Amino acid sequence: MFVARVVGHAVSSHCHPSLKGSKLMLCQAVDADDKPVGAPCIAIDLFGAGLHSKVFVSTDGLGARHLVHDDSSPIRNFIQGIVD
Amino acid sequence: MRIGHVIGRATMVIQQASFKGGRWLLVNPLDGSQFNDACAKRPALSAQPTVVVYDNLGAGEGDIIGFVEGAEATAPFDHPIPIDALNIAIFDSISYHPL
Repeated sequence: MFVARVVGHAVSSHCHPSLKGSKLMLCQAVDADDKPVGAPCIAIDLFGAGLHSKVFVSTDGLGARHLVHDDSSPIRNFIQGIVD
Repeated sequence: MRIGHVIGRATMVIQQASFKGGRWLLVNPLDGSQFNDACAKRPALSAQPTVVVYDNLGAGEGDIIGFVEGAEATAPFDHPIPIDALNIAIFDSISYHPL
């Protein structure tokens, strides 16, 4: 799990069935000073995080499979919570 | 999931039977600065190393795709399969607005 900033989103009409219906958010990992670390990645969002929200991104594939109710889902990153 | 640009294909003469129906793409991962207009015009090659990605969605050269690496890449298959990276989305548009 890491802290990230939502920096955009992606749209895909042709994707794995388990991605259908979830928003694909571009998440940039940030350090304690809010500076970007590494390259942005895509995480699915079921909670409605907005642009530039600070979020927790989980990298637990098993958790992601539970979240989308699909045991064969290839998703790993998902937004686990929005930081107040 | 990482974002990459399909820059070519790899063809095998002999490969494992479990790979039937798919193909191998050469994918150049994109840098953040290339995201915004990647789907509209062909992005330049980034400095990141090219990845070979298994594809059964039907992506072609020039497409911008999302791929997963590691154990999750094998999850959609109902049998053990030696795959390192899998294409799971072909993008229509990407919007990137860093702070």
